[in-house]
Amino acid sequence: MQPYSESIREAAKRLLLEKRVDAVIGFRKGTVPFMNEPFLARTPEQADQLVWDGNCAINLANYLPKRTGSVAIAAKGCDSRSIVIHLLENQIRREQLYVLGIPCQGMTDKRKIADRLNGRQVLQAEENGGKVLVSGRDFEQSFERAEFLQQNCAICTHKNPVLYDELLGQPVEEQQIDRYEQTSKIESMLPEQKRLYFDELVQPCIRCYACRNACPACYCPTCFVDESKPQWLGKTTDPTDTLTFHFLRAFHVAGRCTDCGSCERACPVGIKVRLFTMELEKQVKKLYGYEAGMTQDERPPLDAFRSDDPEPFLG
Amino acid sequence: MSDWEPKIIAFLCNWCSYGAADLAGVSRFQYPPNIRIIRVPCSGRINPKFILAALRHGVDGVWVSGCHPGDCHYIEGNLYARRKFALLKSQLDYTGIAEPGRLHFSWISSAEGTKFAEMARRVVESVVAAGPAQHFIKKQAEVA
Amino acid sequence: MSDIYYNAKENFAGVIERLMGRYRVYAPVKQDRCHEFAPLRNAEEADLGFSNTRLSPKGLFHPQAERMFEYSLANDDPQAGIVKEAQKDFSPRVVLGVRPCDAKAFDLDDANFNTETIKDPWWVRRRETTTMIGLACDSPCSTCFCTSMGSGPYDTAGLDVLLVDAGEGYAAEVLSEKGKNTLSVTSGWTPVTSAILPLTHKKKAAEQSVGIAFDPAAIAKKQMLELYNSPTWEEVQFACINCGACTFVCPTCWCFDIQDEVCGDKGERLRLWDSCMFPLFTLHGSGHNPRSQKTQRVRQRFMHKLKYYQDKYNSGPACVGCGRCVQACPVNIDIRQVGRQMAAQTCSQPA
Repeated sequence: MQPYSESIREAAKRLLLEKRVDAVIGFRKGTVPFMNEPFLARTPEQADQLVWDGNCAINLANYLPKRTGSVAIAAKGCDSRSIVIHLLENQIRREQLYVLGIPCQGMTDKRKIADRLNGRQVLQAEENGGKVLVSGRDFEQSFERAEFLQQNCAICTHKNPVLYDELLGQPVEEQQIDRYEQTSKIESMLPEQKRLYFDELVQPCIRCYACRNACPACYCPTCFVDESKPQWLGKTTDPTDTLTFHFLRAFHVAGRCTDCGSCERACPVGIKVRLFTMELEKQVKKLYGYEAGMTQDERPPLDAFRSDDPEPFLG
Repeated sequence: MSDWEPKIIAFLCNWCSYGAADLAGVSRFQYPPNIRIIRVPCSGRINPKFILAALRHGVDGVWVSGCHPGDCHYIEGNLYARRKFALLKSQLDYTGIAEPGRLHFSWISSAEGTKFAEMARRVVESVVAAGPAQHFIKKQAEVA
Repeated sequence: MSDIYYNAKENFAGVIERLMGRYRVYAPVKQDRCHEFAPLRNAEEADLGFSNTRLSPKGLFHPQAERMFEYSLANDDPQAGIVKEAQKDFSPRVVLGVRPCDAKAFDLDDANFNTETIKDPWWVRRRETTTMIGLACDSPCSTCFCTSMGSGPYDTAGLDVLLVDAGEGYAAEVLSEKGKNTLSVTSGWTPVTSAILPLTHKKKAAEQSVGIAFDPAAIAKKQMLELYNSPTWEEVQFACINCGACTFVCPTCWCFDIQDEVCGDKGERLRLWDSCMFPLFTLHGSGHNPRSQKTQRVRQRFMHKLKYYQDKYNSGPACVGCGRCVQACPVNIDIRQVGRQMAAQTCSQPA
């Protein structure tokens, strides 16, 4: 990860001193390894606490809907696209925002590293160049960060912000990669196998809604889960209800999800919920040539139509 | 098992497809009696939650029908609906929630009574082939 | 003075098997990359080399979702129209390997579920018919802070037996009649009269390795309203996404929701975990919501755990320092930090 901490602090202090914005949304250093805490800096002194490294995975655009006043926000590629979605959906006005664009080299997946360490507890983790140096009670190990990125970062094709007032570093190279390798595997399964696969996938779900709350696209004042007239699904961990929840949530963010991975990162039991959203992203791209949050000139796909839209569902 | 009759919910738009069903009835066209109709003002009213709710109730098939694109009574309702249906069908298929043959869509205008009856026959046949719905049915909450 | 016995680790599969013969045994089981308490199907499944489970064992007494009552209106049902209590299995159970922090948490939860005037019948029955065999912690996690919360890696609160890893075997400290009766169905235990000292050293070492968080007594001394109105809550609440992960992994969070579900001619009343983090939690039927703002909800959680509970029961905070919330929080809101801030809050007058 490029050393952005300095440039974020500098920009934040400057914007706050000039009174260009009321506050700056960024991250400050976390209290446990591999974590940073989203932080709102209102004064130049507070801005000194801002950091940026490979543990800034949570999508900060989540803190924008219905915000009043002006705010600067640190946004990597996926975050900036979520901001575009918010602008399209009138959750915040462009004049309120000062976007500090961050060309991103991917976020570290602490779970992948934990797997490799096989139960040994991490006490310290430090990024150095392209490596992460991890140390515990009686061990030290170095990892190539690029091999331990979050799944969504590993297949990211929009690392550079699409919307920004100031770019805090040199743009990084985008990659050409098949984003849908995993979902294609599932597509080729038999219906029975698919059903079992997804039943098993959501089995650990405890219905805490961390995925929904971490998602910037989920900002409904009353979520469909809480609708009671009629009640669409139960709130227990009943398997049918749980599958219904994940299915519908993914559907509600279809064409609006920027694959920031916050949902998977937030899940306390490690469910790969992106397996729902990735397929919809693929279909939206295939059928309507649309990628969420790339431009402010096009409505999101379910809010628009074309006379020649394909009809693969007929027959 | 041999006396199982499929239960199929049909969401029909009021202006076209429901009219077609009416016409099929008045013209005495024969089609299997397994369709239970829910009338909606427009196919654009169809929310994926409706279809999921029907499946959760244990229906064996769901059929959604509306006006031909371009002829929607509300001009563009079915044009928005098209995109919803495409994504919904693909996702229900992908997650294994709706087996092949259970979910059907059609555009049938109010003059197309024969087409309605034909489609009804096709839908019932297809659902019969898929068998009684066994999964993704919510009865009692499966909890402690 | 409690009795201490010793049994070799190579006998332990046999011990567990004997227990399984008379009880339903729950122990930490490896599931994917973490451990959870699960009913054992065979003795080999138990993994006592775990640090702690991802979810707390509170689900064993207060399940995420459970059926309370049910009724049927079916014409052919002779019991139609009668609301029946859901059948539950209260046959004796053993929870093996529970950590002292979690065991203490259940004692704290008793303040809610088992009071003089109000008793939750299912919680009480489950507690009565369950033997808690704990396992002392020799390698606390970096996120643990049990010693600051009045517990500790060798704490015996809430336990019927405390097992200590003694190298080649386990030492078992019998703490209650129930514990004694449960252990008596197993074999291979020899009373320990001497050589306790190494264990005392282990206990000290474990306690010293637990990080110090903050002093709850300092919070207890503060004026409640001054803590409540503190401007620091603005800063604490920003990152929170009200996701509820903290409340769901926490062993002392007991709040629940009650839902009625009807299907055809059958209906049931269900109890399921709720969270003060959810906006719906305090939504009144009138539409008014006294905690409609995120700040209010975030403040509520910490005030409840670290201040209100102390004020109400005069017995320490409603937190055992297990650190699960610190690990689960997706935005790294750290209760240790919040507690420190609360303890350091300058107040104009004492409580």
